[in-house]
Amino acid sequence: MTEPLLRVDGVSHAFGGVYAVREVDIDVAYGELRAVIGPNGAGKSTLFNLVGGQLAVRTGAIVLAGTRVDRLPAHRRARLGIGVVFQGARIFRGMTALENAMVGAHAVTGGGFAGAVFRLPVHRREEREIRQSAREALARVGLAGWADRPAESLPLGQQRALQVARALCGRPRLLLLDEPAAGLRAAERDALARLFEELKTSGLTMVVIEHDVAFVTRLADRVTVLDLGRVIAEGTPATVRADPAVVAAYLGTGVHA
Amino acid sequence: MARRAPAVAVGVGTLALPPLLSGSHLTVYILLGLAVMVTVGLSLLMGYAGQVSLGQASFYAIGGYTAGLLSVHSLPPVLGLLAAPLVSAAFAVVVGIPLLRLRGHHLAFATLAMQLILLSLVARADWAGGAIGLQGIPRLSVGGYEFADDISYAYLVWAAVVLTLLVARNIVASRPGRGLRALASGETAAAASGVPVGRYRLAVFALSAAFAGLAGGIYAFYLGYLAPGSFPVLLSIEYVVMAVVGGLGTLWGALVGATAIILLVQVLNTLGTQPGMPGYAPSVLSYAVYAVLLVLVVIFLPHGIVPAVRARLTRRASSGAV
Ligand SMILES: Nc1ncnc2c1ncn2[C@@H]1O[C@H](COP(=O)(O)OP(=O)(O)OP(=O)(O)O)[C@@H](O)[C@H]1O
Ligand SMILES: [Mg+2]
Repeated sequence: MTEPLLRVDGVSHAFGGVYAVREVDIDVAYGELRAVIGPNGAGKSTLFNLVGGQLAVRTGAIVLAGTRVDRLPAHRRARLGIGVVFQGARIFRGMTALENAMVGAHAVTGGGFAGAVFRLPVHRREEREIRQSAREALARVGLAGWADRPAESLPLGQQRALQVARALCGRPRLLLLDEPAAGLRAAERDALARLFEELKTSGLTMVVIEHDVAFVTRLADRVTVLDLGRVIAEGTPATVRADPAVVAAYLGTGVHA
Repeated sequence: MARRAPAVAVGVGTLALPPLLSGSHLTVYILLGLAVMVTVGLSLLMGYAGQVSLGQASFYAIGGYTAGLLSVHSLPPVLGLLAAPLVSAAFAVVVGIPLLRLRGHHLAFATLAMQLILLSLVARADWAGGAIGLQGIPRLSVGGYEFADDISYAYLVWAAVVLTLLVARNIVASRPGRGLRALASGETAAAASGVPVGRYRLAVFALSAAFAGLAGGIYAFYLGYLAPGSFPVLLSIEYVVMAVVGGLGTLWGALVGATAIILLVQVLNTLGTQPGMPGYAPSVLSYAVYAVLLVLVVIFLPHGIVPAVRARLTRRASSGAV
């Protein structure tokens, strides 16, 4: 078997003695769209925070394209290609949509304070490139017309899309999305699904946490089911749907919806 | 073009004023420029990066003492002036590494404590003049030119104001500036976007210290004398007030806020010492009236003067267009 893009190897995490993630092993192949599902409190967001670097990994290893990243701070992981779209809408207030997306370019650019103060040619060129790539990212998620609006004035669906644009602006190799469709209207969901398909076609590897099982199983190559911090099933959408443990733990009757 | 108009007006006014001002007014003008420099740094720190400092006068003091001590020991004054922002920034890095683990109120109190400790250390340091102060600081000279009269200091200070405003503006409008604004809004999301949050917080802390240090250096040459009592905690608080009154998150706010507060203090002082005023008038005016006016600003212009004026202008422009 070829090396996966992401390998989560024996990772556990406890909050005050209670395990939120327990001995989890997950391999995500290059170009794959992986869905992670599970009931409330199953540990999905905690797992993302361990991969993204928002929580310190004390047990186990996280390997991205052959490089161990579990000791690195979040911003270094971003530079190595891990993009994150958080649960809810974590946009930067007081900045326009375009500026929000431009922040995402930090992961792939290096201009510092000195370059900015002296307006060096290198700096000016980089600024132009950042602006350009942010505009492209906004266009890609359908926000081209919203570029100069304050980010906090955008409706929820657009704020979600803005987070995706920001992550894309950092040109990630692996994009983690935590419940990107939650709270969206049907039309917005469809738009999001189309975006995922496009991104997948362009070769981006994605891991998507989702409550709406029908929504992700339609898109995902493989599905991982978490319950009480453990992986209880993994496979193609069809096999997972048929898994009795999954049905018992979580899906219940909703699986065929 | 219209956006440039205020900058041009301020620039012309700044250049034209010094020869027109009398001695004591010129002193106020110079001290105002120095306060603007410190407040611009504080505005970057608080308004853009969301970090509160109640110890900004420490960096002003360190800049002053650096310039003063070096030139008292017969180094060329210009070296002292160049060293002032560097030593202040270096000090900010050293204390910032432990202090910046704190946030919000905790950081505010820790910077306040930093200043109290610094003041008591300086008061004991005989090599720095102790509590009596450091005397005999020569006037600044660069090459063959000596900054001898007050007018030359006025131009020096306001040139330095322009420098700090330019540096601040260039940062705000670029990659690191966006990183700072992002981390002020949410450190986790900023870090996930690749912003090195810890390093940026330290850098903006050091930069604000450098601005204050440069101002302190000029102050030392202008006055020729420094004492721990010149840098009270109240001064640090006044800088915060200036930044807030002018409007956080805008660089013009630093200029407007510092000007408003310094003029206000001057007017109240003049009023209080008018003949016929009772003996308690100066203190009542400088504390009570000052405090009441501040409270009024906070109530009626919660975002500060500059954002309020801007909002009014945009409203007028859009209603005019309809
Ligand atoms: N910061 C925290 N401190 C303490 N406990 C936490 C913390 N974050 C999460 N937990 C607990 O860890 C468990 C897993 O939470 P997590 O947020 O990972 O679940 P989730 O699968 O993302 O749930 P949801 O679908 O509701 O988002 C829960 O029992 C939760 O209460
Ligand atoms: Mg969650």
